[in-house]
Amino acid sequence: MSYYKRLKRDLLDAAAAGIITPEQAGRAWDKAYSSRTFASFKAAHWIGAAAGLFIALGASLIIASNWDKIGAIAKMAAFLLAFAGVAEAAQRLDDKPAAAIPLETLWFFMPVLGIGLYAQIFQLSGDPVKPYLAWAVLSAPLAVLSRRPLAAYLVSLLLFIVLYWGTLSGGNMLSLTLLRGAVERLPQAWHCALALAVLGGGVWLYPGKKLGLPLGAAVAWTALLLFNRTALHLRSEGLVLLAVMSLAVLWLAWGDRDDGERPALPLLAWTAAVYTMTFFWHYRANEYYGGTPDTAAGAAVAWCAFAGALASVALKKQPLLPGGKTEDTLARALLAASVLCAFFLFGATEVHAKAMAVIANLILAAFGAGCILAGAKTSDEKLINRGIAVITLTAVTRFFDLFGGLLKSGLAFIVTGLAFAALAYFVNRGRKALIEAVKK
Amino acid sequence: MTKLRLVLAAQLLFFTAWGGWLLASRYSDTPEFYLATSPLDPRDLISGTYVALTYDISRPEGGACASFTGFGPLFVKLEPLGATAKTEAGEVQIYEAADCAKTAPQAPGWAAATMQYNGRLTAVYGIEKFFLNENDPRKDALSGSVLAKVKVDKNRKLVLLDLVKKL
Repeated sequence: MSYYKRLKRDLLDAAAAGIITPEQAGRAWDKAYSSRTFASFKAAHWIGAAAGLFIALGASLIIASNWDKIGAIAKMAAFLLAFAGVAEAAQRLDDKPAAAIPLETLWFFMPVLGIGLYAQIFQLSGDPVKPYLAWAVLSAPLAVLSRRPLAAYLVSLLLFIVLYWGTLSGGNMLSLTLLRGAVERLPQAWHCALALAVLGGGVWLYPGKKLGLPLGAAVAWTALLLFNRTALHLRSEGLVLLAVMSLAVLWLAWGDRDDGERPALPLLAWTAAVYTMTFFWHYRANEYYGGTPDTAAGAAVAWCAFAGALASVALKKQPLLPGGKTEDTLARALLAASVLCAFFLFGATEVHAKAMAVIANLILAAFGAGCILAGAKTSDEKLINRGIAVITLTAVTRFFDLFGGLLKSGLAFIVTGLAFAALAYFVNRGRKALIEAVKK
Repeated sequence: MTKLRLVLAAQLLFFTAWGGWLLASRYSDTPEFYLATSPLDPRDLISGTYVALTYDISRPEGGACASFTGFGPLFVKLEPLGATAKTEAGEVQIYEAADCAKTAPQAPGWAAATMQYNGRLTAVYGIEKFFLNENDPRKDALSGSVLAKVKVDKNRKLVLLDLVKKL
């Protein structure tokens, strides 16, 4: 259950029990919910936004069908009049959301309709990314000045789509792919600068106070650049793993949510990354990577991410485990260990890789146990369930992965079941002791 | 609200100025000529059906052109070298790439291009798409059956004016 749903239920319960009046419950709810990014958006408003989107798409297709019997100036004049009409109506009807939201959505799409129309009239071709960047630049002021977050969200989304598409494909002004020819060449420096500007614009314009989703999009984009044949391409497995783990830790450390809850997506990404490391038990040294170097820029990004991750772990309270100083120390240790583990893969032998896999399993087990204990302490069932899920997933995977045989796997399952039973007993005893201590 | 009206004014000003500049380029007082082309017919999401054009001048070979093997901007001298084609308007001369230069020469007839890698090194002029109505029969034109009617504007950019069927 989300924070807001829980808060609403608790406030209603408190009002029903006579602790607070229904009016106070309503005001407390409005105050808490208004801080949310799309708090002012009701279901009807989302339908309004969808209406604007469909009208814009329809208009785009009508323009695209090419009214070649109408003169250029007449088409341009009609477009400018429609543009002015839509934007003016959006402003005049600003206090009527049912009309203003579709109109504002349409206003956001008007520049790209114009760019498409002009390209059609004047037979313009060229860089495929340029029209979309121009659209984002033309719509950015609307995103900044509009009192609703919709335009900001749309422009931010547009910038991230253009960033992914442009940088990972060739032949455009954002492309960061290696240029093919007799010898592979790096893309020009200004492509990198422009890509960073687009990334910065996307993060800056994203509505809301917290970094969670845009930071995740930036982290995933960086990882894709490192994996693909781009200016940041990494080929050595050790450096790739170091970069991935560092990026996962950075996202977890800084990807806070609007409502102050633990960030679910970054936590899942970090857990999945550590879980993947456990499969390095089967690692075989790859002889084919020997002769091909990493790009200097990719290596620099990997080391910067590593330094950033360690600094974040050292200096910032970590959202991995809630609770007191012990939980925070455990969280920091687990995050640092997950990053440092990657060093086993530098010039790795199979023994090094097996050591790394064992440590990854221990990290997951410690994280799972930490979740259960912290959850028991704070009466957080969700946290306890998460801990059980992590330990169960790790154990089941290992039983099939390592033993394979029915007899050994069966015995391992029984031993794990007994361990869980013991853990449940001690957790329950710990909770009782805690309750007694509070009573005294 | 006033700020948003300023935003709208800036957006409308941009499209008005851009449209004016494009109209000026189209109607600039420079000669029109024809280029040989090979069409395809894909679709653009925002501008509709178009014919994707590659030109003989996309791989310039005349004069010093063979020495340009790198990426980036260059200028191509376009002039008739003897090839002709029959159209409804009569017999027309086909312009070809006669020479290349890194910097813009003063003489007329030089068009700006950018060398890009599109499977092979290609000179791109910004006239590689011809948008037309989805029912226009020219979208199914076979390779070598149409000519591109173009002109060089005052900024040495090629402007695509029409796609003309060969007889």
